Amino acid sequence: MSLSPYIDAFTDYLRTGDAGGMNDYCVDATQIKRLAIYRNGFYKGCIDALAANFPVCEKSLGREYFNQFAGLYVDHYPPEIGTLVGYGEYFPYFIRDLLAELEQQGGPMLLPASLVDLARLDYAWLTSLMSAGTTQTLTADKITWLVEQGEDFTQAQVTLNASVDLLRFNPGTLNQWIGFKMNSPDVEPLQLSPEGHMNLSELAQADSSIAVDTVMFWQLNGAVQARLLSAPEVALMRVLQDDGVLEKAFDAALALDPSFDVSDVFSACLQNEILDIDLTKYNYKS
Amino acid sequence: MNPSLHRMEQVLLQVNECPSPPPSLIAGAHLGAGLGLKAEHLDDILALPTGEEVCTGGHLWFEVHTENYFVAGGPRLNYLRAIRENYDLSFHGVGGSLGYDHQSMPEHIKQVKALINEFQPTLISEHAVWSRASGAYFADLMPLPRTQDALQSLVDGVDRYQSGIGRRILIENPSNYLDFTSEMDEPQFLVEAAQRSGCGLLIDINNLYLSSKNTGIDAAQYLSQIPAELVGEIHIAGHDPDPELGQALLIDSHASPVDLPVWELLQHALTLFGHRPVLVERDANLPPFAELMNERQQAQGYLDQCRYEVASANVSLGGTR
Repeated sequence: MSLSPYIDAFTDYLRTGDAGGMNDYCVDATQIKRLAIYRNGFYKGCIDALAANFPVCEKSLGREYFNQFAGLYVDHYPPEIGTLVGYGEYFPYFIRDLLAELEQQGGPMLLPASLVDLARLDYAWLTSLMSAGTTQTLTADKITWLVEQGEDFTQAQVTLNASVDLLRFNPGTLNQWIGFKMNSPDVEPLQLSPEGHMNLSELAQADSSIAVDTVMFWQLNGAVQARLLSAPEVALMRVLQDDGVLEKAFDAALALDPSFDVSDVFSACLQNEILDIDLTKYNYKS
Repeated sequence: MNPSLHRMEQVLLQVNECPSPPPSLIAGAHLGAGLGLKAEHLDDILALPTGEEVCTGGHLWFEVHTENYFVAGGPRLNYLRAIRENYDLSFHGVGGSLGYDHQSMPEHIKQVKALINEFQPTLISEHAVWSRASGAYFADLMPLPRTQDALQSLVDGVDRYQSGIGRRILIENPSNYLDFTSEMDEPQFLVEAAQRSGCGLLIDINNLYLSSKNTGIDAAQYLSQIPAELVGEIHIAGHDPDPELGQALLIDSHASPVDLPVWELLQHALTLFGHRPVLVERDANLPPFAELMNERQQAQGYLDQCRYEVASANVSLGGTR
C-alpha cells in the first residue's frame, strides 16, 4: 500500500472533516468516527496556541467567541512550520478582514472596536518577548570609549534593538490592553453591547479624525516593557529605525519640538538598552 | 565478619552500581526518573536543594518539547539555561514529522541542532508519526499505517533527522485509537525502523496501555517483542475516558495522574528492559509541583527496585553482569 494516497485522504479529512476518503484505510468502518480525536487534537492545539499568543484578545472576546474566530483562522491559515510558537502572525489582519466581511453582510457588530489593535498589541508583545538577545548594546561606557578615540558619537550608526517594536493605534487602547494583561480590577472589561462598540465605518472615521497613539515595546532583563511615545520621541525612533545616525534622530525630534530634551531621552534609551552599535569597525575590544 | 552481614554489604554495594548498559544507551544510563518541565514549576525546581539525587535516590532530570524553544531569545531560553545548570535535559520533539513530508525538515533540524549545541541534552527523541503534508503542519501526532512504504518513509525521516543533528535519537510508539490497514504489527514496525535507521526506541507505557484498550492488542506480548537493547527511555502519563464512549475509548490526555494499570505495566517493562530513564508526563490540569514529584518518586522507587533486583541476582549468581 502506497503511503501518499493515505496521507492525502487523511489530510483531506483534517482540513474538511470529510472522512469518506479514509474508508479504505480503516479496518473497522464503524470506528471511523474515532478519527475525530486527531482532527480535534489538531484544532485544539492550534486554538490553544492562539489563545496563548493572543491572551488579551481572548479575554476581551471571551473564550467561546475567541474559539470561533481562532477556528476560522486555522481553516484559512493552518500552521506551516513544525512549531506553534509564534503561530498567528496574520491573526490581527484576519480579524480585521472578518469584521469587515461581517459588516458588509449587515450582521450585528457586537464586537469591541479595539479588537484588532488588542490583537496587534498581543502579537507585538509576544515577538518582543521572543526576540534575540544582543551583545552589541550601546552603553555609556562604549560612548565614553568612542569619545576617547576622538569619534563624534552623534555620527555613529546605531540600530534599535531587535526586541523594539513601534505600533500605532487608537488612543486608549494601550490602557485597555494593559488592564486585561494585568488582570486589573480597575479596568472595565470591554462590553459586548451595542452601546459599547463602534462599527467599522465609525472606526475608520475615528482613524482619520483623532490622534493616534504610538507605543514602543522592548525587552529588558527578560521582561517586555511598554511605553507611549510623544510625537518627538516617535520622530526620533523612526529615524533610528530607518537611518540610525543619532544626530539625525535628535534633529528630527527637535524639529517637532525645539524644547524637547534630547539628552533625557537618550539617557533613557541607554538605561533601557534599546540601542545597538557595531563597534568592530572601531576595533573596540570589551 | 558475620557471613550474612558480608553478603548484605555486597548487595548494598551492588545496589549502588548501575548494571552495565549497552554501549548505545550510555548517554542516559545514569538518569533516574524525570519530569516534563513546565514554566509554572520553574521556581519550585530552582528551589530544590542541589544534589537532589542525594535526597531522592535517583538522578532527577527534565524533558522539554523541543519546538517550544524555537525562539531567538528571551526568558523562555533563559529559564531553560537556569535548569540546565543543575539538571540533565531530554529534548522531545513533537513537530519533526519523521513519517512523511521531509521537504521542510532541514529548516526544522537547523533549529533543533542549534538548541542541541547550546544545551547538550542527554536524550533526544521524536515520534513515529507524521504531522506535515501539503504545506501544512497538523499540530498533533498523526498515525502512520504500518506498511512497508510507511516504514521506509519513517526510516528516511529518522535518517535525515539523525544526520542533521549529528546524534542518535529515540522514536516513540504512538497512542492508537483505531486500526488502520497494516502489513505488520507495531513492534515489528518500530523494531524494523530502529534497526534500519540505527535509532533507539522510547516506549511510552501509557500509549501502549491505551492502544491495548482501544484496539485490543496484548500489551505484555507487545513488550516481549521489543529487544531491550533498543530501549533508551520510558514514558508514563495519565489518560482519560472519551466523553462520549467512556472506557471504550481512552484518550492520551496527560491531564491526570498515572493510572494503576500503567504503573503495573511500567514495572513489567522494567523487568524486561532493566533500568531505563523514566519520564512522568503531565501537560494539562497541572497539579502543584510537590504532587508531580510524588509521582516521580514512585517511578524512582520502581527503578531502584529494578536495580536492587538486578544486583541481588548478580550476588546470588556470585558475580556481576
